[in-house]
Amino acid sequence: MRVEEIHAEMVSSVWKVLVAPGAEVGAGDTLVILESMKMEIPVLTERAGVVQELHVVEGEVLQEGDLIATVADA
Amino acid sequence: MTTLHAVPTLPSPDPRDPEDRLLRLLDEGSLGLLAPRDTSGVLAARGTVAGSPVIAFCTDATVMGGAMGADGCRHVVDAIDTALRERVPVVGVWHSGGARLAEGVTALHAVGEVFAAMVRASGRVPQVSVVLGPAAGGAAYGPALTDLVVMGPAGRVFVTGPDVVRSVTGEDVDMESLGGPDTHGRRSGVVHVVTDSEAAALDTARQAVGLLAAQGSFGPAALGPGTDLRALLPERANRAYDVRPLVAAVLDGPGLELHPRWAPNVVTTLGRLAGRTVGVVANNPLRLGGCLDSASAEKAARFVRMCDAFGVPLVVLVDVPGYLPGVGQEWDGVVRRGAKLLHAFAEAVVPRVTLVTRKAYGGAYIAMNARSLGATAVFAWPGAEVAVMGAKAAVGILHRKKLAAVPPGEREALHARLAEEHERIAGGVDRALSIGVVDEVVEPSRTRRRLVEALAAAPAGRGAHGNIPL
Repeated sequence: MRVEEIHAEMVSSVWKVLVAPGAEVGAGDTLVILESMKMEIPVLTERAGVVQELHVVEGEVLQEGDLIATVADA
Repeated sequence: MTTLHAVPTLPSPDPRDPEDRLLRLLDEGSLGLLAPRDTSGVLAARGTVAGSPVIAFCTDATVMGGAMGADGCRHVVDAIDTALRERVPVVGVWHSGGARLAEGVTALHAVGEVFAAMVRASGRVPQVSVVLGPAAGGAAYGPALTDLVVMGPAGRVFVTGPDVVRSVTGEDVDMESLGGPDTHGRRSGVVHVVTDSEAAALDTARQAVGLLAAQGSFGPAALGPGTDLRALLPERANRAYDVRPLVAAVLDGPGLELHPRWAPNVVTTLGRLAGRTVGVVANNPLRLGGCLDSASAEKAARFVRMCDAFGVPLVVLVDVPGYLPGVGQEWDGVVRRGAKLLHAFAEAVVPRVTLVTRKAYGGAYIAMNARSLGATAVFAWPGAEVAVMGAKAAVGILHRKKLAAVPPGEREALHARLAEEHERIAGGVDRALSIGVVDEVVEPSRTRRRLVEALAAAPAGRGAHGNIPL
């Protein structure tokens, strides 16, 4: 089973969490929306699957490289 | 001098056969060998790609794993010099273990001559490389010196292989993670396009050659009805979005995106606009908020210089919040690497038109082909902002004392009012028009037409410089 790890690309805060572990997602779906540089930046999954782990909560401040979620093949 | 030789028509069953690979690269029936097949490890040919004449060579992986010796290198040098003399693109197909060890320094010298030939041709004829197997040691720099590198799934590019790495540094790594498609497509930026099959890699090379060799001319009739391109942006002004659908819609359709996974916060795409080849540079807000950073500035700079060298006009789509702040960026040389983008735009003589879709802030505003760098024209969509920074942030600094002096309950209202005033005098598109840094506010539905008119009206130019792999 392939697992995609989704990391924060920049220092940001978690504005909205849109999925929960176990949710089925399609390629290009938004998992969370971060806030940085005064912008709302959606974080997408590159491929379809099931959200395995979710490591962030709304309001949390992320550093570059922090793990946000993992998506496993359905 | 080179002469044409007859080609046997029966394909060989070995998938690494160089003649087979060249046959698949070139138009059917167009291949003519530049020299008879030998044991040199290189096969060179002339032919056509979508009707345009090209020169191509392929390392012969069926002989000593494609290792390069003096004779093979002479074929490559001859092929490149022929392409240069005839002013046609050259495509190199690579599957080579590097220099022939048994030939010693003779082989190294010959490989160096290949590099020199590539640099002689740099910026004068398009050079495209297709890496289908290992391209190790000396063979790694062959592709790296060319304008575009395409890699198939079995492509591996590295200077020193896993065994040497392990013995020197103790790092345990296989060939794929050391120099495979993911590594070079995402981390190093060595490869411009990664494909999922060998056939797709050769097709991509054909597409690249077609875009650079047969650039066409602007045919406004090909524009079609104007569509509302703004519908491709989110309604909320501060919401990030993927710019690639906008790039495809500004173009006649999806083009060939280069370095899609490396430094993805800037998009660099070769495509057609009203039938003519253009290069698009666009900030992508979905990645890093669209900020420029050291890697993306370097990526865009190299793209701009390549387009300038081959006379490809540029379209620059701007939606940039600024340069990415951070210690890592400064230590990574964002000043040195960002300077490359300023240099690339300012020296470019091809027509180059900028469109500000939402915002252009600070130093990144200048770097994205601003009026001051010599843009052919700068357009903006209605409501776009050109400023040193967002109005709210700016008044927070400019009126810090004034804001601190009012009771906390009134601070927010004052901040908003000051921001509105500031935008009117310092950041709005009207102000940008009045000082001449934006030439014209263009309706989204008329964008394609105005881009074509502006690019077509400018004198065609072509930069007289090589294309160093920045």
